[in-house]
Amino acid sequence: MTGRANPFWLLAPALLVLGGLFLSALGLTLIRSFRYMPVIGLTEPDLAAYAAVLASPGFLASLGLSLWIAVASTGISAVLALGAALLLRQTFPGRRLIGFLVQMNLTVPHVVGAVGMAYLVSQSGVFARLAHAAGVIDAPGQFPALTQDPFAIGIILLYVWKEVPFITLILLANLQSIGADHEATARSLGASPWQAFRHVTLPMLRPGLLAASALVFAFAFGAYEIPLLLGASTPKALPVLAWQSYTNVDLAARPEAAAMAVIIALIGLATLLAYAHFAQPMADRGRDAR
Amino acid sequence: MLRSLAALLLMSTAALADTADGEALKAMTWDQIVEEARGGTVNWFMWGGADTINRYVSDHVGGVLKRDYDITLNRVGIADAADVVNMVLTEKEAGVADAGAVDLIWINGENFRSMKQADLAFCGYTDLLPNNALVNWDNPAIANDFGVPVDGCEVPWNTVQFAFAHDSAVVTEPPRDMGALLAWIKANPGQFTYPAPPDFTGSVFVRHVFYHAAGGADALLGPFDQAKFDAAAAKTWAILNEIEPFLWREGQTYPNTIAQLNELFANGEVAFTFNYDPSQFGLAVQAGTYPETTRSFGMTDGTIGNTNYTLIPFNSPNKAAAMVVQNLLLSGEEQLEKAKPEVWGASPAIDIARTSAEVQDGFAAIEGHPSVVSADELAKAALPELQADWLTAIEAGWQAQVGN
Repeated sequence: MTGRANPFWLLAPALLVLGGLFLSALGLTLIRSFRYMPVIGLTEPDLAAYAAVLASPGFLASLGLSLWIAVASTGISAVLALGAALLLRQTFPGRRLIGFLVQMNLTVPHVVGAVGMAYLVSQSGVFARLAHAAGVIDAPGQFPALTQDPFAIGIILLYVWKEVPFITLILLANLQSIGADHEATARSLGASPWQAFRHVTLPMLRPGLLAASALVFAFAFGAYEIPLLLGASTPKALPVLAWQSYTNVDLAARPEAAAMAVIIALIGLATLLAYAHFAQPMADRGRDAR
Repeated sequence: MLRSLAALLLMSTAALADTADGEALKAMTWDQIVEEARGGTVNWFMWGGADTINRYVSDHVGGVLKRDYDITLNRVGIADAADVVNMVLTEKEAGVADAGAVDLIWINGENFRSMKQADLAFCGYTDLLPNNALVNWDNPAIANDFGVPVDGCEVPWNTVQFAFAHDSAVVTEPPRDMGALLAWIKANPGQFTYPAPPDFTGSVFVRHVFYHAAGGADALLGPFDQAKFDAAAAKTWAILNEIEPFLWREGQTYPNTIAQLNELFANGEVAFTFNYDPSQFGLAVQAGTYPETTRSFGMTDGTIGNTNYTLIPFNSPNKAAAMVVQNLLLSGEEQLEKAKPEVWGASPAIDIARTSAEVQDGFAAIEGHPSVVSADELAKAALPELQADWLTAIEAGWQAQVGN
């Protein structure tokens, strides 16, 4: 009996974890979101929790904020990472050091990064203190609000800082397997550097870039701790709103929290489906082109 | 292999679950319960945000329990007791009736109400604790937890009363009543803010404004009354919206947690912070976070006080050991130990007059931290807590009318 003949046994541990922990929790959340919770006397499932969530005044603002955070963080991170990967592909003195520096913060947890970001850019942070020492500002309030701000700048900065190395790492691995031959061929056929990048390298990188971006998007959209630490009190990012509802002292609010969690999960799922829709044909096309 | 594993699991459940049956314990004498508790482990879930409190519980209380009762205390730090309510609730939903992960919770107020709402507390045993005799259950502020009758479901641990802190080098004459504070805020733009409810501490600040708007707390005591609420709430939101442009960041955002407000105060961004537990100010000065010139004060029209408790969940497998912990925490010696400012500075939940002469001398000898307003001073103008329904209505109203 070989592993190839029986892929089930190789997959079993992963399936056990996925099914046992993730899917059962998702299932329980779904059940709760339909207001089925016998322990507090809810035994008639209905959709009232979803109606209440969608009709509550803060929900749309929170949804919009979370989408803005996810889109902006993903977009900026992807562009910067693409630049970093193309730069680090080349050989130049100090490349190893720069490569190390770019990827160092992969090991720093998000929460630690958020606290550091608050120490750096808040109105009484390091930069504000430097500005004060330089005589640019007299009081903390004169420093631009970069944390707890309406545009979520602090949150986006943190995600960009944290996710650029992640996307860069994936792109570098991609670039290594693609090699320099395709680009060199294009150049020898008379393509300008931009044309070679635009029509040869970028299409070949696109599947990896999209995959990494989809992961970053889903994470930035669904993560709770960064908006809690760096976000404004209103509107709250969707996961913060969901957690607040989950820890509401009134147990009857739990179904609404579950409904919000399901909505977050659905949007994450939609992102992945969109990724599969866009990336797969492209990968096929890339293969055909070869 | 599988069989021995199953046997091991069964054995460990049996060993863990031996004092899960609360009714059996209620039929025992205290000495029998102490005997049952030997060798037990108590998982105590409690707010873990203060190093001094953590040290007192883990090192001091844990040490005494090990030495005198052979009980292992496992302190589990959490951010909010609501998290543990969710845990126990989920266990109940999953049918875990005698092997829960939680043996003891530091709790009060709305979370206690949730525990009662879903029948998650072990009740009716507190008379068994010998040190229960030190508690003055005739005091309504002890016998009711935010207006919810305790009914033998939890044991008091500390009493607290809300106080404000300021840096006396920056604000020499702080406002001493709510009206003066509101005027001060308008005269000093950007120097004041409060955490957005439902933050525990932000919520109590809003309740002070609510009392002020209602002309005192007396009319608000008792069950929730929609008409009374509407009248006071309209005035409260008007006051809070009126001061909003004069708050930190022009009131466009509020700190999300009391920790963020403390940070703003420590960095000099705002002139005041506040806390249910004034001893925290002294601890922050000792830690070098707040300036030495930090001072704290109450209000002449009163500040809100309450009692916090420890509670055993219905499905704790170590009820006997948890009861021994509760009894130890209630003792005169432990109440004195944690009252020392260098240890914690927490006010006792017992009637000191009922303790031994030594303990009474110990309390008399305590010298407060200069940054911490004394409990006696605060007690001159104390306000009661409202019932939990009022709290949730005020929090929801604030979110809809002020913090939107």
